Amino acid sequence: MSAAAVIVWAAALVALAVVVRRGRPALRAAALQTGTSLRTVLPTLALALPAAGFLTVLVPDRFAAALFGAETGLAGHLLATLVGAVLPGGPFVSFPVVLALWQSGAGTAQMVTLISAWSVLAVHRLVVWEGPLLGWRFAALRLVASLPLPLASGLAAEAILALLPPGTVGR
Amino acid sequence: MRPPPSPPARPSSRLASLAFVALLSLGSATACYLLRGTEGLREGLATAADLALAVLPVMVPALFLAAVIQGGVGRERIGRLLGADSGLRGLLLASAAGMATPGGPMAAFPLVAALAAGGADRGALVAYVSAWALNGVSRILVFEAPLLGPEFALLRFAASLPLPVLAGALARRLPLEGRVR
Repeated sequence: MSAAAVIVWAAALVALAVVVRRGRPALRAAALQTGTSLRTVLPTLALALPAAGFLTVLVPDRFAAALFGAETGLAGHLLATLVGAVLPGGPFVSFPVVLALWQSGAGTAQMVTLISAWSVLAVHRLVVWEGPLLGWRFAALRLVASLPLPLASGLAAEAILALLPPGTVGR
Repeated sequence: MRPPPSPPARPSSRLASLAFVALLSLGSATACYLLRGTEGLREGLATAADLALAVLPVMVPALFLAAVIQGGVGRERIGRLLGADSGLRGLLLASAAGMATPGGPMAAFPLVAALAAGGADRGALVAYVSAWALNGVSRILVFEAPLLGPEFALLRFAASLPLPVLAGALARRLPLEGRVR
């Protein structure tokens, strides 16, 4: 088991201890919620993982590396920002796509930029939810203020990766 | 101030997204078969099996952790935390609240409207939305860590952690009118 998996397990055990101390109703509520999430996530995962596998076969080997490879530098980050911003759909569409690109040679830091752009710029969410619910003035202000964030997160990831031993974050 | 109650998730939208993933899977399988034959299908399924082996061992603890965070952070609590606190403290509080807010846009955006009505400034609101979108802990635990691996999720989380505060500070200085309707 990887070091980070151990961290997730340890954090879950601490959370379990906290909930047990809060009493039976809290434990029941957390267990019920976990069951509900599992029922949502497992069927989607059963469909999303094959999609990720087939997409990995389909993306030509040099394609992802040429567009988003670790050596593409700033250009790769900017392209990842653009693709992430317009990538439609929820997490179960975007994450398999990112996984397929990553497995086919895209750089780790470039994929950080892509996911950050998908989550924070999210043009589809802005049009469907944010504008109608919060008004277009606020949506525009938030979009402009968030524009530099994906690139900043990708460059920060690159700096962190440079400090870690090679292979710490594997595909 | 009392934020409006959280609207329930629509089962129809869940089914629609499931159907979309099913279509993506079927379409890519068909393309694999047409381009690479049964060998391509076998290769894709082998990759999927490798991924499942990486994902499944952390699935249950990750979902439990998300459930506990969700139960511990009530919507009223977030509203109380965020009043009209300004300055750097307001941005830090808004970022922390955004990270802890579970659920999709249907849950988060009505809360933003309520926070605006309660007097939160536009910098805090932008920091809140950015933190929810970029570093929402429940989405990271439920989707990102299982699918892309906990190491990747931790790397992206650490790289993005301070950014919502920056977006909030930037929003306060931008010459745009950021009024929430």
